[in-house]
Amino acid sequence: MNAIEINGIVKSYGNVRAVDGISLSVGEGEIFGLIGPDGAGKTTLFRIMTTLMLPDSGSGTVCGLDIVKDFARVRRIIGYMPGKFSLYQDLSVRENLDYFATLFGTTVRENYENIREIYSQIEPFEDRRAGKLSGGMKQKLALCCALVHHPSVLFLDEPTTGVDAVSRSDFWNMLSRIKASGVTVFVSTPYMDEAAQCDRLALIRDGVIIGTGTPDEIVSDFPYRLLSVGGDRMYPLLKELRKTDGVISCFAFGDSHHVAYDPAVTGRERILASLADAGFRGCSAVETAPSVEDCFMWLSGSGDN
Amino acid sequence: MWKYLLEKEFKQFFRDPGLPRMALMFPVLMMLVFPFAVSMEIRNINLVVVDGSRSEESGRLIEKCTASGYFRLVSVCDSPDEAMRLMDDNKADAIITIDAGFSREVETGTGFPVGIKINTVNGTRGSIGSQYLSSCIRMYMQDRNPSPDAPASPAIDVADRYSFNANMDYKLFMIPALIVIGITMITAFLPALNIVSEKETGTIEQINVTPVSKSAFIICKMIPYWAIAFFVLTACLLIAWTVFGYVCRGRLLWLYLYTTLDIVVMAGLGLLISNYSSNAQQAMFVIWFFAVIFMLMSGIFTPIASMPEWAQTITYFNPMRYYADAMRSVYLKGSTPADIWYDAAGLLAIGAAMAGWAIASYRKSSD
Repeated sequence: MNAIEINGIVKSYGNVRAVDGISLSVGEGEIFGLIGPDGAGKTTLFRIMTTLMLPDSGSGTVCGLDIVKDFARVRRIIGYMPGKFSLYQDLSVRENLDYFATLFGTTVRENYENIREIYSQIEPFEDRRAGKLSGGMKQKLALCCALVHHPSVLFLDEPTTGVDAVSRSDFWNMLSRIKASGVTVFVSTPYMDEAAQCDRLALIRDGVIIGTGTPDEIVSDFPYRLLSVGGDRMYPLLKELRKTDGVISCFAFGDSHHVAYDPAVTGRERILASLADAGFRGCSAVETAPSVEDCFMWLSGSGDN
Repeated sequence: MWKYLLEKEFKQFFRDPGLPRMALMFPVLMMLVFPFAVSMEIRNINLVVVDGSRSEESGRLIEKCTASGYFRLVSVCDSPDEAMRLMDDNKADAIITIDAGFSREVETGTGFPVGIKINTVNGTRGSIGSQYLSSCIRMYMQDRNPSPDAPASPAIDVADRYSFNANMDYKLFMIPALIVIGITMITAFLPALNIVSEKETGTIEQINVTPVSKSAFIICKMIPYWAIAFFVLTACLLIAWTVFGYVCRGRLLWLYLYTTLDIVVMAGLGLLISNYSSNAQQAMFVIWFFAVIFMLMSGIFTPIASMPEWAQTITYFNPMRYYADAMRSVYLKGSTPADIWYDAAGLLAIGAAMAGWAIASYRKSSD
């Protein structure tokens, strides 16, 4: 049985289709990443799957329990950590944890083993008010509160948004340990570079899933070859590249441009030559392996003219 | 579970930097400061006299006015222009002008050359001031010439006696009304703000994914405010008794009974407000809107009977109207629920409608 099944879920806000017929399945014990930019519909899908919102149509199950009919039982077996820190700022670390444990009809002592590893890092600040914690500690506390009742599935909505790079990689390490304890993790993020940390992922854009698979599968499905082109006058260069024969797509990627080209039509030398003809001399072009972000840009079609 | 939910609400309440102090200060302020401030009695009317006569007679007239206790003699001027200037500067509320021939004309009974000017920028103060002033002058005249042809036979002496508030003490009249305002603020508006702030911080979302039922959560949020409301009621009654010596004429039980009814209505209203507001700012505006309408249309400050017909109709939908009437009736007259059953009926009807609507909209907003 899959931990999460989503079948054709649709949710509209007025005329906007926030989630437009999404179907997914998440296997038990995997870290499944939902990756897409802001406004893609990630949070809406999370709110539906955590029984906070009803879908307009479609259905979903968590561990075999229907998210609409069995919502009360679903709530017992999931942990949810929303994107925004939403614990009581005026209660202490310990009080917050006790409170959420009690709401689930358990105690911190009973489940201490589940959270020990994470909680031990914030335990020295047990009596501090949650509002006075640093960002990283708040996040750890929120994670403890979501785990304190030993859920089967953990929903994490953009847990790393606004967190520094070191804390982010710390966080992913924590997730793999949580996974090791048998919890299925469903996590969303707008950061493409975190995709590689997931067992499987789904790319979402405008409420539609545009690709699923393991990170390797997604990358190997990229049908073209990729050049990383650098030079001066980057913006005119970008426009020129998009006009070049055989170039499928081109978009800015850090301090260079990633150019997807069809190897049957053109190649590195020909692209450089045509750039030189157009007056762009001294450009560098390096063959590079596609990343998840490249795949996302290609799949979403936004690299096209 | 319930115990813990409640414990958390109380913990948060007492941890708040302002709320506990407010709960303590509120009844004290309400009882010790507001009764004086909201008094509708007009006193200290600034009086300027233009005395052209400067006679014994005019002196007696002035004394009559100042002795009434309502007027404060600001100055005695020589010219009307000077007096007018004082009124323009807002230093005079009333001017009484006494002509040079006053003494003689009064003596001979040929006339009464006195003029009154009233500053009516504040209408109430002006109209009441002019009434006081003319009645002072009338009294002066009566004193001067007790009508010689008054009937010698049994004179009918009309004396006023005020029931229930023998000294026409405005403070006594306002104390139950102030309690009404305080209880309404505490039981309707504070819980609404509390719930909305949980919405704003997103904590309510976190609660919603737990097995705790929402109704249990909401009720636990309201209970502390109910406890505070009864604390404030008791404190107000104690202060009124120890400081002013006022006691409730009726049974205290009825005060508490009507307060409980009002709390039910206000809990519904509070929930309703929180359902329709997604942030504190919206909630504050709705609260302000209701608070003003409730107070002005309740009969607390202005008698309902003197409102136009259509405005009186509106007051029937105002829970504060019934609660204020009940509290005043019990406190001042010693009424029992048998006498003021209609107040209970009004509160119950509005309470049922409000709670029904609140619960229906709450279900809808929570999908």
